[in-house]
Amino acid sequence: MDAEPLSSATDSPPAGAGGGLPPAPVARRTVAVVTGHTFSRVLRPAALWGAVFGGYVLSSALGFAASYKTPEARHRLASTFGANAGINALIGPARQIDSVAGFTAWRSLGVLSLVGAVWGLLTATRLLRGEEEQGRWELLVAGRTTRGRATLEALAGLAGGVGILWLVTAVLSVAAGRASTVNIAPGAALYLSVCLVASIALFMAVGAVAAQVAPTRRAAAGYAGVALGVAYALRMVADSGTGLAPLRWATPLGWVDELRPLSGPRPAALVPIGAAVVALGLLAVWLAGRRDLGTGLVGDRQSRRPRVGLLGGPTGLALRLGRGGAVGWLVGAALAGLLCGTIAKAAGQAMTVSAGVQAAVARLAGTGQGTSAYLGIVFLLVATLVTLVAAAQVSATRAEEAEGRLDALLTRPLSRWRWLWGRLAVAATTLVVLGAAAGVATWVGTASQHAGEAPGRIVLAGLNVVPAAVVVLGAGVLAVGFAPRWCGVLAYSVVSWSLLVELLGGIVNANHWLMDTSVLHHMAPAPAVDPDWVSNVILVAVGVLLALAGAARFGRRDLAGD
Amino acid sequence: MAAPVVSTTGLTKRFGRVTALADLDLEVGAGEVFGYLGPNGAGKTTTIRLLLGLVGASAGDARLFGLDCWSEAIEAHRRLSYVPGEASLWPSLTGAETLHLLGRVQGRVDLVYRDELIQRFDLDPDKKVRAYSKGNRQKVLLIAGLMSRPDLLVMDEPTNGLDPLMEQAFRACIHEARDRGQTVFLSSHLLSEVEALCDRVGILRAGRLAELGTLGELRHLAAVTVEATFDGPVPDVNGVPGVRAVEVTGRVLRCQVRGSVDPLLKVLATGRVRELLSREPSLEELFLAHYGDVTSIETRLPAGNGR
Repeated sequence: MDAEPLSSATDSPPAGAGGGLPPAPVARRTVAVVTGHTFSRVLRPAALWGAVFGGYVLSSALGFAASYKTPEARHRLASTFGANAGINALIGPARQIDSVAGFTAWRSLGVLSLVGAVWGLLTATRLLRGEEEQGRWELLVAGRTTRGRATLEALAGLAGGVGILWLVTAVLSVAAGRASTVNIAPGAALYLSVCLVASIALFMAVGAVAAQVAPTRRAAAGYAGVALGVAYALRMVADSGTGLAPLRWATPLGWVDELRPLSGPRPAALVPIGAAVVALGLLAVWLAGRRDLGTGLVGDRQSRRPRVGLLGGPTGLALRLGRGGAVGWLVGAALAGLLCGTIAKAAGQAMTVSAGVQAAVARLAGTGQGTSAYLGIVFLLVATLVTLVAAAQVSATRAEEAEGRLDALLTRPLSRWRWLWGRLAVAATTLVVLGAAAGVATWVGTASQHAGEAPGRIVLAGLNVVPAAVVVLGAGVLAVGFAPRWCGVLAYSVVSWSLLVELLGGIVNANHWLMDTSVLHHMAPAPAVDPDWVSNVILVAVGVLLALAGAARFGRRDLAGD
Repeated sequence: MAAPVVSTTGLTKRFGRVTALADLDLEVGAGEVFGYLGPNGAGKTTTIRLLLGLVGASAGDARLFGLDCWSEAIEAHRRLSYVPGEASLWPSLTGAETLHLLGRVQGRVDLVYRDELIQRFDLDPDKKVRAYSKGNRQKVLLIAGLMSRPDLLVMDEPTNGLDPLMEQAFRACIHEARDRGQTVFLSSHLLSEVEALCDRVGILRAGRLAELGTLGELRHLAAVTVEATFDGPVPDVNGVPGVRAVEVTGRVLRCQVRGSVDPLLKVLATGRVRELLSREPSLEELFLAHYGDVTSIETRLPAGNGR
């Protein structure tokens, strides 16, 4: 931009519009600028997730009431899940799940707390740090307010987003409570909604601190993700029935469980939650005043000798760019596998699936018995993780184009196909390695407890999750071709949708057409049962076909930014 | 005669209902330094993206070295390099790593010349792209473009963000490229840059080629903007030879002058001049003076510098 003619031409006729704005109102509006900006960016996703949360509560409650009408049926379900340490470890302790209220609270709190925590930390790091990396923050902050104050205002905007999410969830929860088969008091439904957003607030605050500490937005999301992983692992150990129950007070996710909505509520647990949110928020504000814009408190080495080993072409570049993230996921998957494997034997012993509810729990727990059945659930979570990685990979591929970096490659003698296949080959390899690593780590965990599981079976169960991830990858590539701006949204939606359908559908005996829309539904719950190779081959074929269609279109369309 | 390096016939690009480029006929011969001028949003970047095969034409034909820009893009790309004005690179790579990668993808690099360019542009190649200023990122792209000594250099406002010293280094490189017989397609919104470097100039306005010719042929466009602030009444300069686009705002007079400024100065001196500024007019001002309006440009790109 040539600033000179711009400034000297302000009062010429074509300048008109922007030229004569008096400065005073701008200064007065400062207070609300950052809050308003942050709130406007978080408003729509918050409302959307509020609908998902509320919808989940609604369908849990109504579905349970419709599927388990008699006390006997409910009791059988409760005796299957209630005493099961493995399931308790994965999604939190089950209390009073022979009632609609208790079941609803357990299902929604266990699942939505994790989903909300992930959303909260991603949103906070994006809005507090991503905006800054894009240069938008500078425009808002420049010369008008201090860094710390701007962060405080942004946190207020985020709090507004949590408020909106709570409101939408609360409306739908109260509506669910009014159904005659459900019958939950409005006050209890409102409290449930507070419990459901508690982990969002907690991990937004964690993300806010990470955004001040880490050198880049991606690193900030990584730091906050590690914090979530540790919190989850601690709760898992606490709830695994190994006598370490007090440990749950050491993890924020444990506090959320202790809120016990609809099943003997303990609002006192809101105290540590509120204190942690406020303390972390203030810490973030304080740290924000102590760092420079565009850097974190942890230094990033700005300078180094070149390392060109992988930089011989586009595929090597993809490997180089994805390496850091892939190693992080690998370590995460391995640790999770190890932990789940270690508690698998204890968890599996409690798991004796009674015939009456077998059909209903078959999806979640598999049709096997004992340790294998429990591991079936573990690998459903591994599958979720690996499909999420697939969505992240294809989003990153699209980002190369959206952010203009692809131009630098494609204006050189390189075909679009070669570039895209290089990226996809790296992505697919990452998925396979992740699945295998989760399998190996889980087996190591079980072996340490002499659970007697065959290594081959468990490693195969790890690989069994890959075909579903290939479908997600393919769907993302289809979007790269036909609707590039929707690529990330589509890929992540396929994963979230599949997980929600999977977690809910099996319990409430949902319509099989609905179940079929979940990519995870087509995956056999190995190692509880043998992998279904026919189904897996079909999944891979679907993924490849989607990718081919997307790639063909990508080769013919205009490159498009965001 | 060999095929022209760049040739387009009836080249048109529409994005939805907006026509970004209409019916462009252009030829650039081997060894020419061609200046492609236009205000932001006039369609310069669209033309370049069409030439590079990043977007496909809605109508018409675009060729580089006689090769079709869309279907034979890869062949054409072996003989050119492109320097964008907006530096989008991988933040986690260092400058040296970026140059290595782009050189390998390009397939041919003059390593000695690359190192010389790093010296001349005073770039620290061991820094990460993330840590570079905008000007330094632009240098990486310039070096990446020049280091392969391509037959054709396509540049889209390449001096964006460079400081004046580096602009001099850039101009020296372009002169050398011309001396070596390389062809340069240089898009710019700076008249002075094009005047200093180019043999022939095309001027784009609202998606259409408004002027095409040598700099001498386009001399009628040259003008200076004069801005005078008075302590007393502003004298009437309407009708003074060479003076156009007169605007008076309070005690400030602004106008454009072609040819000698002497007649204008004589009239200005009749008032009490407190301040007198003259500068090269922006393209927008030139167009305003020459064509009477730039509204079609304004409406299409509100964020541009066409104020």
